[in-house]
Amino acid sequence: MGPNEHTTVQTPSTEPSSSSEFTTFMRAYQDMVFSTAARLAGNDVQAQDIAQEVFIKAYENFEHLRMSPAAGGWLKTVATNLSLNYLTRYRRRWRFFSEEPSMPDVPIADEFVADLSGDERRALIEEALRRLPPHQRVPLVLYHFDDFSYQQIAQRLGVSLAKVKTDIARGRAALLPVLKSHGIEGAAQ
Amino acid sequence: MTDELETTVNRALREVPLRRAPSSLESRVLAEIVRRAALPWWRQDFARWPRPARVAFAVMCGSLAAALLAASGFFAPGGALAGAGTRSAGLWLPWARSALTLIDVARELDAALVRAMPPDWLYGVLAAAALLYAALFGLGAAAYRTLYLNLSSAGDSRS
Repeated sequence: MGPNEHTTVQTPSTEPSSSSEFTTFMRAYQDMVFSTAARLAGNDVQAQDIAQEVFIKAYENFEHLRMSPAAGGWLKTVATNLSLNYLTRYRRRWRFFSEEPSMPDVPIADEFVADLSGDERRALIEEALRRLPPHQRVPLVLYHFDDFSYQQIAQRLGVSLAKVKTDIARGRAALLPVLKSHGIEGAAQ
Repeated sequence: MTDELETTVNRALREVPLRRAPSSLESRVLAEIVRRAALPWWRQDFARWPRPARVAFAVMCGSLAAALLAASGFFAPGGALAGAGTRSAGLWLPWARSALTLIDVARELDAALVRAMPPDWLYGVLAAAALLYAALFGLGAAAYRTLYLNLSSAGDSRS
């Protein structure tokens, strides 16, 4: 994260010392919180809303978090829970008469194999993740990024263990062409 | 093959660095904290209300529920105070007497209408209500898909 990227903002005036401390705290963790939310929600607008809510909860619990070595874990757990709540409540409510917005195809032509920068590579893999349907993306993200076990994912999402395994396997298979196109070792077999 | 794919995907995803949070996130959070702090206590979360206010609210809700239960006894056909005149006689507040009389008249009018209406009309009204509900539901769905999803997609493509 580049600290110089952030705009100057007015901090809450209620408790000046803790406010500046909180700003420093937020800067240290905001990329992690936003990434967690964005990968699960698959939508940057919602991810910002979720990240905002996470930090407001953190502010309310800042007395406990400011010196806690587990603050990062706490934030990640809250971000994951809020993202899953968003997905399971909000989207289930509308699934009856809506459909997922279609995502543009990720270009995986041969020319992308050569000399991609780290940022381009990250963006393409993130985009490939976002293109996955939520029932594949969410368990895949929980498994690979958040270290959930298959059993934990099944319990958290309220689906069968077999479905979790199938969805994750299909998600990986869907990612394979993107990984292959970037010449990631072992993906071509 | 499956294990190899798992290992490959795991390694590839683990190598993906964190996304940079939008620069506006920090200002959004701080502005929201300021906004919430500026709210009067009665517009904040119930858990943040002063303790006396929470206790008073609970007592008030309990009293209101008890009053409603007691009032429902008045309205019961075989209740202790059946009939508008008898009911209003049991209450000394003029406004309560007027309100009860009004409710009673409305109920009697309602019952008379239902009795006078042919059953087919009733079914028709129910069907029309169901149709209107479905139409409203469809309208909401169309608005959601047209406005919200398109805006979300546009937001995604901008970011």
